[in-house]
Amino acid sequence: MVDLNDLNIDEDFNEEQMRAESDDLLELRYLTKDNAVFERTKGGFVSLEYAGKKYDRVGVYRTFPITEPEEYISIREADEKAREIGMVEALSNLSKDQADMLREQLRIRYYMPVIEKVIDVKEEYGYAYFQVKTNYGVCRFTTRMGGDAVIALSDCRYQITDLDGNRYEIVDLYKLSVNERKKLDLFI
Amino acid sequence: MTKLTKSLKQYLEKYDIASDDIRISAVLDVNENFGFSDTYLVLTADRLVLAAYEERKPGHVHQFGGYSRTELNEEQTDMPAIRIYELENIEKLAVIREISGGALYAETKEGDIRIGRFTNSRMGEVQRFIGAFDKVKKGEELTKEDIEGKNKMECCPKCGLLYPDQERKICPKCMDKKSIMLRVLGYYKPYIPQIIIMFLCYFATAALNLVWPYLSGTVLYDRVLAKDESLMEFLNLPAGKFTLLLGVLVLGMLSAKLTLLAIEILQKVLTARIVPKIVARIKEQVFTSMGKLSISFYNSRQTGSLMTRVLGDAEEVTSFCIDGVPYVFINVFTIISTCIIMFSIHPLMAIVSLVLLPFLTIISYKMMPRLWSFYGRRHRANRRLNSQMNDNFTGARVVKAFGQEDMEIKRFGKRNSGVRDAEISVAVYDNKYYALYSAVENISAFMVWGLGAVLILNGSGLELGVLITFAGYVGQLNGPLDFMSYLFRWVTNCLNCAQRIFEIVDAVPQVRESENPIRPDYIRGDLKLENVTFGYEPHKPVLKNINFEIKAGEMLGIVGRSGAGKSTLVNLISRLYDADEGSIYIDGINVKDLGFKELRRSIAMVSQETYIFMGTVAENIAYARPDATRKEIIEAAIQASAHDFICKMPEGYDTMLGSSGRSLSGGEKQRISIARAILANPRILILDEATSAVDTETELAIQESLEKLVVGRTTLSIAHRLSTLRNADRLIVIDNKEITESGTHEELIAKKGTFYKLMELQTKALAMRGLE
Repeated sequence: MVDLNDLNIDEDFNEEQMRAESDDLLELRYLTKDNAVFERTKGGFVSLEYAGKKYDRVGVYRTFPITEPEEYISIREADEKAREIGMVEALSNLSKDQADMLREQLRIRYYMPVIEKVIDVKEEYGYAYFQVKTNYGVCRFTTRMGGDAVIALSDCRYQITDLDGNRYEIVDLYKLSVNERKKLDLFI
Repeated sequence: MTKLTKSLKQYLEKYDIASDDIRISAVLDVNENFGFSDTYLVLTADRLVLAAYEERKPGHVHQFGGYSRTELNEEQTDMPAIRIYELENIEKLAVIREISGGALYAETKEGDIRIGRFTNSRMGEVQRFIGAFDKVKKGEELTKEDIEGKNKMECCPKCGLLYPDQERKICPKCMDKKSIMLRVLGYYKPYIPQIIIMFLCYFATAALNLVWPYLSGTVLYDRVLAKDESLMEFLNLPAGKFTLLLGVLVLGMLSAKLTLLAIEILQKVLTARIVPKIVARIKEQVFTSMGKLSISFYNSRQTGSLMTRVLGDAEEVTSFCIDGVPYVFINVFTIISTCIIMFSIHPLMAIVSLVLLPFLTIISYKMMPRLWSFYGRRHRANRRLNSQMNDNFTGARVVKAFGQEDMEIKRFGKRNSGVRDAEISVAVYDNKYYALYSAVENISAFMVWGLGAVLILNGSGLELGVLITFAGYVGQLNGPLDFMSYLFRWVTNCLNCAQRIFEIVDAVPQVRESENPIRPDYIRGDLKLENVTFGYEPHKPVLKNINFEIKAGEMLGIVGRSGAGKSTLVNLISRLYDADEGSIYIDGINVKDLGFKELRRSIAMVSQETYIFMGTVAENIAYARPDATRKEIIEAAIQASAHDFICKMPEGYDTMLGSSGRSLSGGEKQRISIARAILANPRILILDEATSAVDTETELAIQESLEKLVVGRTTLSIAHRLSTLRNADRLIVIDNKEITESGTHEELIAKKGTFYKLMELQTKALAMRGLE
């Protein structure tokens, strides 16, 4: 059976168009500096002109947020369905100005405080209370013990998710002092 | 709603905004540069005001999840930057969800404008603000619920601390380790008479142990061997017969030892009688409360780690109960009474033997927390290993099919070495601790011997026998003290396990039966949904404002893309989850007020996931009605077209299914679960892709039996293949969390909307492939 889920069925029914659309979905379209123009909007977003169409606001997504933040950037429509318009193979392929525009958006979307110093970690009845210094300032947060509150992204890189779903990152565990690492012992 | 600080209220008055004008306010907790700073959002009848404060000063600690977020920062008195938007210029407020929070933006005539950013900690508050904004813009009044939100943050009833996790009503402060310990001991309550006997045994043992060094030291050396006549007189023995005296002493010592042995046996027998009962009770309790927990509990935890919890933890607590708790009493008694006796014999020597005791306490106190964490870590590593193995066995087919055995072995190796490392670090630290501990103990013994020898040589009144008695007592102290150090470790481990057990025992199911449930004798099957909104995670709705009504006996078809929330919708009706907003009524009774028994009895579900448990085919079919007769079971099986394949199996309806029994194909399992639903004879039937796992031919057969089953029942049918829904009295199409179309088959076709397109597409696709 044909998978109907991804076909766009909102527009007027037209078999040919539908087929074209489903073909569209099977194709990877690359946005390059020759075929796409990004522009900053007044409201703090980025717009796109591509294939004769103007998008007032687009979503900028990483496809490999952890392992490759600068490549394979997916540009998507701003509505809830967020259909993909195309992909930027590497930000470095765009002009610097255009790439920076997208980097700003990525920075917003993937905002994650980086933990620079672990001030205190206290474990109590299934919860861990952290006080840390991040690149954005000192903060406290609480995580569940056990489970997936702290996950290893690599041997030295860790990501912590607190009770509210906010995320924090430890870029290199071994750059922390021995004492700080001891405090994190429980999780790592 | 977030209140405003006094200084901000005053400041806003300069902009003609009085406190009474403010409809609702909220706080955005990060600024455009991601710094931690507060931006207050204030809504009046015609304006949206932003008051953005400077970044908090160094030294300020920002608080995220788990901390009370209602505190106001009254110290912040600097002047915020004010931005004002006229409400008429803003068409809509909305949130862009990001990874760790979101951005609030306004849709205006000039395009979308970003207003501010916030973290997930403020998501609920901002969503509420947007809801209120919509109402205010329409000119509606805000209700209390609009402003305060429905789910108020709950606090611990004892100390008033905000629960760190609103879903787990456990206060970390009030639920301390001591109470865990007391609770573990509480399991002994029903066995008080036996316990009293055990205690008498303990004290007898300890008393005899105390006499021993005195007999083998002072009495033997200073009386018998020193040929003390007064002792002979005291015992009424003929004068001069010291060999007889020695014989009496030996006899006394022997009988003391024998009595000790007898007491020990009695006490072990008692322990063996009580402890297994307690262990069974703990396991039962855990299992019962796990059964009561809502389905979401199981979704959020891996099955493997749950098993380790129930089995492993109960074992650990058990072993502590068997070998730990009784000896705590013996040893505490021994230590105290030994000390008393030592002081009464020779205070100076007693001080010397006990002077190092505080060091032992310090060592334990300092090293224990770390040891604690090592144990916890070992446990987690083990749990991870178990889960990995579980996953692997379940996925064995996929692993083999892709030839990835080596990679799996590697992955296993990684987890395995995690356990190894955790074991090693436990062992290393354990040894460190133990070495230090026994070193202190040995020094203590040397000091006693040394001082004793000096005192004897100086002739300052210390007799050899007393020294030997002392050495005996110090040696005797070593045992209980050792135990106490061991006990710390033990208690730690046991408390860790007990904590985990109680976490499950105490977990409050999210879906609870009402306290005074309504228990109607008969349910007709009228079903009504009113403004139902639900999301698995807070503020991320999967279903929004769902409304529909079905009369008893009607069939409703539900159509939508996969992931549109169709299965979620039916889970809400059978109360596997509770709707966040809105209500569901069966026969006009809110499902939340209906008794669980009545609710579950009146609903049966045939879903895409089939569940076959351990037992015979007949037992599996009669799961919902264990009292069903053989005739009824066979009739149900025939209706579900399961009878044929069941008969062909050598043991027929008595075939054992489940883990060690015969395994069935997907279609066979599906037919058994349909037979189960037929036998349950529910008033409301839910078919969730009931025929998805079977081939076309079987599907036709099942379809027929389903058509029979559906007659006279309220039916909700979810199907991908639209042709199976042609009998439905009405259809709804769910798209993008909401109902987008509803009506009869004909109406929807005539409407030429989504349903028509899907229908058209499917017929064409099938025709193209020659399937229909």
